Amino acid sequence: MMTHDEASELLAVFALDAVEADEYERIEEHLAQCPRCRAELDAHREVAAALGNSVGSLPDGLWDSIASRLPPRQDEEPPPMPALVREGMTPITGQGPQFQAPRPSGMPRPRRGSRGRLVTLASAAVAAAAVAIVLGLNLVHDNHQISQLQAGGGTHAAVAAAFRTQGHEVVNVKDAAHHRVAEFVVVPDGRGYLVHSTLPTLTSKQTYQLWTVNGTRSISLGLLGRSPSQATFTSAGASMPTTLAITVEPAGGSVYPSGPMFATGTA
Amino acid sequence: MQEIGDVSDAQLVTAVARYSEVALAEVYRRHGGAVYGLARRVLNSTTEAEDVTQEVFLRLWNQPDRFDPTRGSLRSFLLAQSHARAVDAIRSLNSRRLREAKDASRTASAEYDMQHEVWDLALAEKVSGALATLPVEERRAIELAYFEGRTYVEVAELLDQPEGTVKSRIRNGMRRMRAALVEAGIQGVDA
Repeated sequence: MMTHDEASELLAVFALDAVEADEYERIEEHLAQCPRCRAELDAHREVAAALGNSVGSLPDGLWDSIASRLPPRQDEEPPPMPALVREGMTPITGQGPQFQAPRPSGMPRPRRGSRGRLVTLASAAVAAAAVAIVLGLNLVHDNHQISQLQAGGGTHAAVAAAFRTQGHEVVNVKDAAHHRVAEFVVVPDGRGYLVHSTLPTLTSKQTYQLWTVNGTRSISLGLLGRSPSQATFTSAGASMPTTLAITVEPAGGSVYPSGPMFATGTA
Repeated sequence: MQEIGDVSDAQLVTAVARYSEVALAEVYRRHGGAVYGLARRVLNSTTEAEDVTQEVFLRLWNQPDRFDPTRGSLRSFLLAQSHARAVDAIRSLNSRRLREAKDASRTASAEYDMQHEVWDLALAEKVSGALATLPVEERRAIELAYFEGRTYVEVAELLDQPEGTVKSRIRNGMRRMRAALVEAGIQGVDA
């Protein structure tokens, strides 16, 4: 295995896929047990991706080829959605989330899989879930977009502007012990900003997720990441969300809260 | 009614993990152009680039858990996949011949998500500006490695420089690029 210094010296080259074949596995071995190098590699990979990010036209028929080659999964049926039953909500079972979406321009309607697990909305319950998902998720920034804002300092200006907006509200979100863990400012057009957070850092497999609570319904406003500091969101329908809640979810986020609210607050 | 275009990348991958072909189609609409564009640039071949693009999306379908949203954006993840596969291809004997071939015909025209295209254009401009700030020897080493699929040893031979020098130039150049991009308000590629 490589030493830390040897591996560290090659991380930028590794991110460009330009190491020699015999070095590749030794670097991978080192990465598996060195979080510092993993973090540095991730940073280099973001730069590499920026370099390789281009504006391209897609060839006709390419999506057809991909869709026609989608094989059935080798693994078992997917696990059930976590905690799909919320108070006042139709119990849902099945494989959500499933989206009902307009067909992207230039693409055919997706083929139905051999196991009948695709976009068919088989029941009113599933249809209700799809509507809830589509209506609820008007996510503006995920973890990395949040990082982008931090880098650009854009959030500070936006938060300042929000505080100067007529009709803005401040929402203090408190945990079960009534300690304030986050402060948001929301404005009448539905935008909102995380102003301050003392939320403890989660594991890499978890994320905080922000919700607006409307009666008994919880609608996702997006992921805050595992260590929130700044974030921007927009509420569906451009209505000002005045009741917010935060849950702890698996890293990819959840369609519905998978457990009790970690913290809640109302303007 | 909000459309699928409003759903985050992370949510889309969650849906892909649950076998939603519509979600995969949306990922393709958002990022397919970039994935294909990078592969084509590295391989200089539309046919090979299409193969790479197919591989990347089939891999996402089969192994969505390989994407870890805590380690970078979906766009970055897919571009890394695209680049790695393109480099694998270019390093094979058959593809070496393709490297010399001219990319004569450009098949194109399925529509790439306009919203992302505008964003990509803005990003491309900033990246181009950041790249231009690098010392020429650092820029050249990075370009040879990344866009021509050369190993740093090959780059050292091509530039007639010691391998250690090339490693340092690439590392310093990447760090400089990162600083320049952060200064420009870009910390990663996202959409």
